[in-house]
Amino acid sequence: MSDLSPMRVVTALIAIAALIALPFLASGATLDIANQILLATIGAIALMLLTGFAGQISLGHAGLLAAGAFTAGILAQEIAAPFWIGIPAAALTGALLGVIFGLPSLRLRGIYLAVSTLALHFLVVYVGGEYETRRGFSTGILIDPPVVFGFEFWDPVAWYPVLLFVAVIVWLLARNLLRSRTGRAWAAIHDTEPVAAALGINVARTKLWAFVISSAITAMAGALFAYYRGFVSIEAFSLFVTIQYVAMIIIGGMGSLLGAVLGAAFVTVLPHAIEAASALLPSSGGLAGSIFAMNYAAFGLIMIAFLVFEPGGLVGILRRIGGKRGTR
Amino acid sequence: MSELVVDKISLSFGGLQVLNEVSLSVAEGELLALIGPNGAGKTTVFNCISGLYRPTGAVRFRGQDIIGKKPHDVAALGIARTFQHGEVFARLNVADNLMAARHLAIGSNPLSEMLGLPGARRQERAHRAQIARILDLCDLTGLADTPVTDLPYGTQKLVGFARALALGPSLLLLDEPSAGLTREEREDLAYYILKTKAELGIAMIWIEHDMQMVADLADRIHVLDYGRSLADGPPGAVLNDPEVIKAYLGTV
Ligand SMILES: Nc1ncnc2c1ncn2[C@@H]1O[C@H](COP(=O)(O)OP(=O)(O)O)[C@@H](O)[C@H]1O
Ligand SMILES: [Mg+2]
Repeated sequence: MSDLSPMRVVTALIAIAALIALPFLASGATLDIANQILLATIGAIALMLLTGFAGQISLGHAGLLAAGAFTAGILAQEIAAPFWIGIPAAALTGALLGVIFGLPSLRLRGIYLAVSTLALHFLVVYVGGEYETRRGFSTGILIDPPVVFGFEFWDPVAWYPVLLFVAVIVWLLARNLLRSRTGRAWAAIHDTEPVAAALGINVARTKLWAFVISSAITAMAGALFAYYRGFVSIEAFSLFVTIQYVAMIIIGGMGSLLGAVLGAAFVTVLPHAIEAASALLPSSGGLAGSIFAMNYAAFGLIMIAFLVFEPGGLVGILRRIGGKRGTR
Repeated sequence: MSELVVDKISLSFGGLQVLNEVSLSVAEGELLALIGPNGAGKTTVFNCISGLYRPTGAVRFRGQDIIGKKPHDVAALGIARTFQHGEVFARLNVADNLMAARHLAIGSNPLSEMLGLPGARRQERAHRAQIARILDLCDLTGLADTPVTDLPYGTQKLVGFARALALGPSLLLLDEPSAGLTREEREDLAYYILKTKAELGIAMIWIEHDMQMVADLADRIHVLDYGRSLADGPPGAVLNDPEVIKAYLGTV
């Protein structure tokens, strides 16, 4: 499984060195992007578990991120709950919503399942919006930065090690799970449900666990996002966010944890890259307004290109370069 | 006493009667061959036993009616099966295909697995040791870490057989295990079936088209034709039954 070829060890060491050196070398703005990548990584791993491994389609990802962010925001606002309450509470909310998001999967599949999770997305967004207007926070909820032993986490430099730590932990938890009974059951139901069932796998329970675990991690990522930004607003959780996460796992490479990370980085950096590229163009003044549209268009094109030409995603490309079968 | 009794099961798919009062039984340690022309309803009988279809009539396992039970609950009683085309889990390697069939036996929960708690690790190790014995029985040890999709069809079907054994069944249903295998692979398969019978002493129902293999290995033969039980008895008698010969000559 984990073959330690010199090539892989060297690559891993370089990556680790770069991750440690980053906060000492990068500007605040660059570090902010790094932090966004780490947050996206957590969310993408969660979606990868559900879709890339257990084979369940969901368009509720933004709704679950919103649920986590709002749980943290509302608890901070209403009872001044600190982050060490807000984050577990968000994960718990996610787990409960996971059961609800997962129930339709027991009956529906494919496009029908996607639409039912979409309905739940709108439900969560509606509830969040209602809270905002009822309580008079029509522009969003402010959250104080987390404080640990008197140290305030408010700038990207302080957040970077925290988010890196959480992302690594989530990766390790996911990897452990995939190498155990639950991960094998996900692979089995992903391949064929009747065969899995005839071999003793409770298909319904296996699916529900996938939704529960994925949703808990997603909501936790949403809460981290809220604390990181210091602000929660329902506007931040549009359907485009869901599409971005689906793009991350497709572009990164379905059924691979590394794919989730690479996809998260790619999709997070893309708009910044487009912005930088368009600034280099001579008539950049006129383009400024259309950057947003360009971002959408580039995004769609790249996603289609991957689906058609490289269904294995970035991980598939890496594997071909390495000439080797990768691990999870 | 019979492990399994199939008692007059009937099943239709929208007007098409696929099974018509099929009755058969298999005893502990017995190898029952289930034969019949293509489309006779053999696989459908298996699907009824394993809870994928719901026929009328009764299917009793150790006296208990199991019709209406969920497939995973049927498996939990100790009924395992193979599938006509292998149907191995393409996303898993050979060892993990067998481990997937130990799902019921492994007692860990997702939280302990995620955290890599000692209990979960211990379970994982214990069950890996269990499947190592089955891999050995089927001469698959050298392929344990190979992705199943890299294997030839015949070996994939053998993995399907080993996977069913990994469940630790007391009744094993084999759906055309030899179809698509080379001469040599068939001989190996015959050896594994006999070895399973000798070492584990479990009841087996075995759908097979290779009459030579059936004549050599089966304790008893049950013949299906157009969804009906046509004959049942020892190989010598059944294979020389004019009705059976006619049913086969009609289609093959
Ligand atoms: N799910 C199904 N829906 C409709 N017809 C089916 C279904 N399963 C089996 N049949 C039909 O039942 C008959 C018996 O099939 P089967 O049990 O697979 O035969 P065999 O003896 O070759 O295994 C065939 O005519 C087949 O088309
Ligand atoms: Mg068949």
